[in-house]
Amino acid sequence: MSEAALRANLPQSLLPVPLTVGHVDPGSLDDQVLAFPAKRPPKVWYMALAFTLSLFLMGAGFMVYTVYTGIGVWGNTSPVFWAFDIINFVFWVGIGHAGTLISAILFMFRMRWRNAIARFAEAMTIFAVICAGIFPALHTGRPWLDFFLFPYPNQRAIWPNFRSPLLWDVFAISTYFSVSLMFWFLGLVPDLASLRDRTDKKHKVRKAVYTVLSMGWRGAASHWRHYEKAYLLLAGLATGLVLSVHSVVSFDFATSIVPGWHMTIFPPYFVAGAIFAGFAMVVIVLVVVRETMQLRNLITDYHLEVMNKVVLAMSCIMGYSYFMEGWTAWYSQNEYLTHAFKNIIGGTYGWAGWLTIGCNIAIPQLYWFKKCRTSYFWMIFVSIAVTVGMWFERFVIIVISLHQDYLPSAWRVYRPTLVDFGILIGSFGLFFTLVLLFARVLPVIATTEVKAILPGAQPKHGGHGHE
Amino acid sequence: MSNSEHPVPDPETAPETAPQTPVAPTNVPEDGHTEAVDKTDRGRDDAFLVLGLFENTDALMAAIPKVRSKALGRLEAYTPYAVHGLEDALGIRQSPLGAMVMVMGTLGAITAFACQYWISAIDYPIVTGGKAPWSWEAFVPIMFEVTVLFATFTAGLGMLLLLNKLPFFGHPVLSSRAMSAITRDKFALSVEAEGASRAALDTRAVTQALKEVGAVSIEIVPQPEPAPVFTAEFVLRAIGGIVTACVVAGASMYGAVKWFPELPPMTHMLEQRKLMPQKSSSFFRDGHGMQLPAPGTIARGYLPLGASSQDEAAELVNPLPRDIATLELGKQKFTERCAVCHGALADGNGSLTAAYGAKPANLQSAQFQRYSDGQIYWVIVNGKNAMPSHAADLSADQRWAVVHYVRALQRAQNAKDQDLNP
Amino acid sequence: MTDAKAKSPVILLGMTGLGALGVALSFIRNSHERFWVNWIYWFVVLFTLGIGSLFIVALQHLVSARWSIPIRRVPERLATLLLPVIPVALIGLMAVRVLYPGAQPEALHDHVLAGKVWWLDLPMFSLRTVLVLVAATLSLGVLVRGSLRQDKTKDPGFTVRARKFAPGFMLVFAFLVTIVAFDWISGLTPDWYSDIFGVYLFAGSFLSALAASSLSVVLLKRGNRLVEVKPDHLYNLGGFTFAFTVFWSYIGFAQYMLMWYANLPEEVHWYHQRLHGGWHTVTVVLAVLHFIVPFFALSTRDAKSDPKRLAVVALIMLGAHLLDLYWLIFPVLGEGPSFTWTELSFALFFLGVGLLWLRQAFTWGDDMPVGDPFLREGLEFRL
Repeated sequence: MSEAALRANLPQSLLPVPLTVGHVDPGSLDDQVLAFPAKRPPKVWYMALAFTLSLFLMGAGFMVYTVYTGIGVWGNTSPVFWAFDIINFVFWVGIGHAGTLISAILFMFRMRWRNAIARFAEAMTIFAVICAGIFPALHTGRPWLDFFLFPYPNQRAIWPNFRSPLLWDVFAISTYFSVSLMFWFLGLVPDLASLRDRTDKKHKVRKAVYTVLSMGWRGAASHWRHYEKAYLLLAGLATGLVLSVHSVVSFDFATSIVPGWHMTIFPPYFVAGAIFAGFAMVVIVLVVVRETMQLRNLITDYHLEVMNKVVLAMSCIMGYSYFMEGWTAWYSQNEYLTHAFKNIIGGTYGWAGWLTIGCNIAIPQLYWFKKCRTSYFWMIFVSIAVTVGMWFERFVIIVISLHQDYLPSAWRVYRPTLVDFGILIGSFGLFFTLVLLFARVLPVIATTEVKAILPGAQPKHGGHGHE
Repeated sequence: MSNSEHPVPDPETAPETAPQTPVAPTNVPEDGHTEAVDKTDRGRDDAFLVLGLFENTDALMAAIPKVRSKALGRLEAYTPYAVHGLEDALGIRQSPLGAMVMVMGTLGAITAFACQYWISAIDYPIVTGGKAPWSWEAFVPIMFEVTVLFATFTAGLGMLLLLNKLPFFGHPVLSSRAMSAITRDKFALSVEAEGASRAALDTRAVTQALKEVGAVSIEIVPQPEPAPVFTAEFVLRAIGGIVTACVVAGASMYGAVKWFPELPPMTHMLEQRKLMPQKSSSFFRDGHGMQLPAPGTIARGYLPLGASSQDEAAELVNPLPRDIATLELGKQKFTERCAVCHGALADGNGSLTAAYGAKPANLQSAQFQRYSDGQIYWVIVNGKNAMPSHAADLSADQRWAVVHYVRALQRAQNAKDQDLNP
Repeated sequence: MTDAKAKSPVILLGMTGLGALGVALSFIRNSHERFWVNWIYWFVVLFTLGIGSLFIVALQHLVSARWSIPIRRVPERLATLLLPVIPVALIGLMAVRVLYPGAQPEALHDHVLAGKVWWLDLPMFSLRTVLVLVAATLSLGVLVRGSLRQDKTKDPGFTVRARKFAPGFMLVFAFLVTIVAFDWISGLTPDWYSDIFGVYLFAGSFLSALAASSLSVVLLKRGNRLVEVKPDHLYNLGGFTFAFTVFWSYIGFAQYMLMWYANLPEEVHWYHQRLHGGWHTVTVVLAVLHFIVPFFALSTRDAKSDPKRLAVVALIMLGAHLLDLYWLIFPVLGEGPSFTWTELSFALFFLGVGLLWLRQAFTWGDDMPVGDPFLREGLEFRL
């Protein structure tokens, strides 16, 4: 059969899907995406910002109250010494991982569909890490002394304890934040140059800001050579971080001997969970963005469907992990571990265990059906379920294992306080405030990267086609 | 391509550099005919580079080898995104960034390990959680993260600052008319003068060559006007900047180290509401924080005797064993407390006797030889006649040890033949 | 078939025959423990290679990758090793009562094992093994036989079916590898457990299959087959090998570090045995061969697409995988690391059988899946 005839006979499902809908060329792309930073946002943006900002300010108020009065205003007490603080920390760090996976790992695999969403996803990573960083900073009780964590020569003649996973966490999160920021910023430089060149001279401040931030980028081929190399190297390095950062976070638990925490599967299980929660959050945000900013031709149905497939895959990995934990609880024949596991599906917090399993394993199975993968209602429903489920998963791991471990005389029920909830809600407020501000000020789609993958963007001469 | 005309020049991005000798921009219609541009033979003297704009990457890539073969100057391209194969076509060298990152990453790994090792195993070694000071397993996560950190900063900052020499806002292309097209959707090939002498650029030949390969518009970018660096303005600004930086740094340090720690809540642990020595307290009637212990309080090691008279005390049994340690203790305490009055041999010939005119008991006498241990103990605790109580000075064990020692002294002064070892 | 290949049957047959002799002798003369340890060792080697290769095939269908289409036939053929694995596994079941404490009568009196004897004992063990073999064989049929058939029919329907089958296969694959890891390897010390063990074996299987595939591609190219496969394709193979070397090391280190950190006696004894005496040397060599060497050898871009370097690293990786499984399994004998004529015979026999099988398998179907509708795009892939 001839090549053409072969292609003509292809079933629908095998036909390649275009990454942009309708006519898109570099000029129209710039006009569509780069116009936003220049114009006033719609009223709904202001309303949304007012809402998220008020949530954040409320949360900030509770944070100030905590610092001023003490950690006693939280629900943390023996034996549940870690509660909302660490749950929220792990939750937000996890959300950040999706951005890095999309930016870095999908780049390494040359998945071109990632170009349209990488900028936003990477920005979400940075905002998520900012939200995450609040919690370890606050939970020390005297946050102004948090610099003690860094190994600098001091007159107290004392160093931090390098054998503690909490210190590994400090380094891991700092590195993750720095690398994400660097990677995101480098990707922005050519786009900022575009913005600089589009900005009229009469907007002095804006032009100056774009000029300085774009660092005088002029698109020289000799510069692109180094730039592309740096981008590839950063993507490779960030790939390593996706695995390592959440693994180090999992070490906070797995290195201990608390029953239910000391499971060797924690590192990859946490990483999978992070990607899972992160992708769900990215889906929610992108649905809102593509609708409110009319970007459906760039953030296409295909993008959303593929991301939902990733969510499904991660849900299956989580299912495997939960199964292994449960099965190992039996296989170990260790009464403490078995007891901890029974507390997950029964006892005071059994409802949280079932909520976790339902939201993380059962509900995402809807994504086996194409209809659910491509429908806004089901997407948002599943994504919210996953977000809730993944928060509760950390709750299950931390609170359930801690509230009843080896010594029955130390068993106690944990009750969160209003301040705990207030700070959690405030962190969501902060995250979405930053997202809204980002969408207002910077290009939400990496126009430079999308231009490079448009049909006809690369020269056909020399056999440099695309797969 | 939607935009088939050459880019609309933005009059407000006119270069602030050299005064531009107006040159009619070449407007190349679609059929490729060109109009003559320059009237002079070699073209302009002050050209820095000549830009030829192309509509798409195929046109650019096709143009490069032809222009390159004419050897008119150094070739560079300006594109809105990275174009595959462009650098190779232009003969641009591979980037050394990979090797740089590898070296710095390795340095990061070594630094992290070395620092952790020195801190944990040499400078202040402590065993934590049963783990030896040199626990290499624990150092691996941080080593990995620091490796990535070093590598990342090398890749990012090395690329920007070192290799691309950015930020740099003075390149003439930035103020050219074509710049906004370059970052939007056009692809520019530029020919610069090679070598130090800028006058070597033959703009007419370059323009001709670019037109031949299908450039849709040509722009000659003039050289920037040489400006002196150390103007009065620059020096003033620099000094002002340094002064400002110093002031800000100083103020920040002061704020961080002196002012900030003295604000609440940082001071909360200094002013504590708990009761501390010398503090007053409204809890007690007399307003004093420090109070005497309640009546009947017994200090540790000073349990009551359980006997109310010396005769009752006679039944107390010495709980300490009669061994060398006890006798040593007894000797020490006796010498400290008792010998001054009762004498070193417990015979009543102490050193204070003559001065005070007192008559301490001669413990070698028969009366005291007949005393039981408990009776001696009673006297130590309660005193007798002129002898005060020594209960506060000796703990129970010490008192019993003294009793043993007194017994030993008594025996020593009344030794019998059979006490000597044959 | 080139001359080199035409010569090899004699060598291979000789090798296999010699090995078979040694194996038979060892059954008669040796302690049965050593015999069976070797047998199950080679079962795991062949199984991991086969299932890892099948994973590669399924992965390509799962993500609809195009670049790997030209070389997909290689892992498909490697995956057929799962067929000779069936008799090896079934015979290996005779090792269960000999080697696995959970299946021995003493287990009923051990307080840790007593509660799970019903799971560890031969009947359930065999049931799980049979299920694994059935599932693997069925998957082989769908993915590999379908692909071979597509060569002739050129029916795109297979590609559609394979893409639909792949996600389900991945779910099943996770459990296949986990079952084999827990039953055949970790079951040798049934009081010990590590729930990452399935992931660890997966990493090793995937890497060994990648290595075998890379090596095969390079060798085929040297024999003037797979001519259209470019360095760009090799780069991707090299890149995956590099990335998953890091992944395997991460899993291995995570398991070790967590057990070292908590220092629980019931976990640490497994490592204690492997970190003292002769086994300590093996551990160090394993870390060097399985991580350090491939990591530094493949770190540059040129290295990843250089066929010679790729082939050498692939060979080292296969050796490292063999060493990894040796390090996992052989300490059960309770001695230091040993390589006696028994091990040599088993190696000759199983390597011979494996290579003979593969020699046949590499004649099945075309060298590239010519029926795949996207083969052209796959060949046009450039970095």
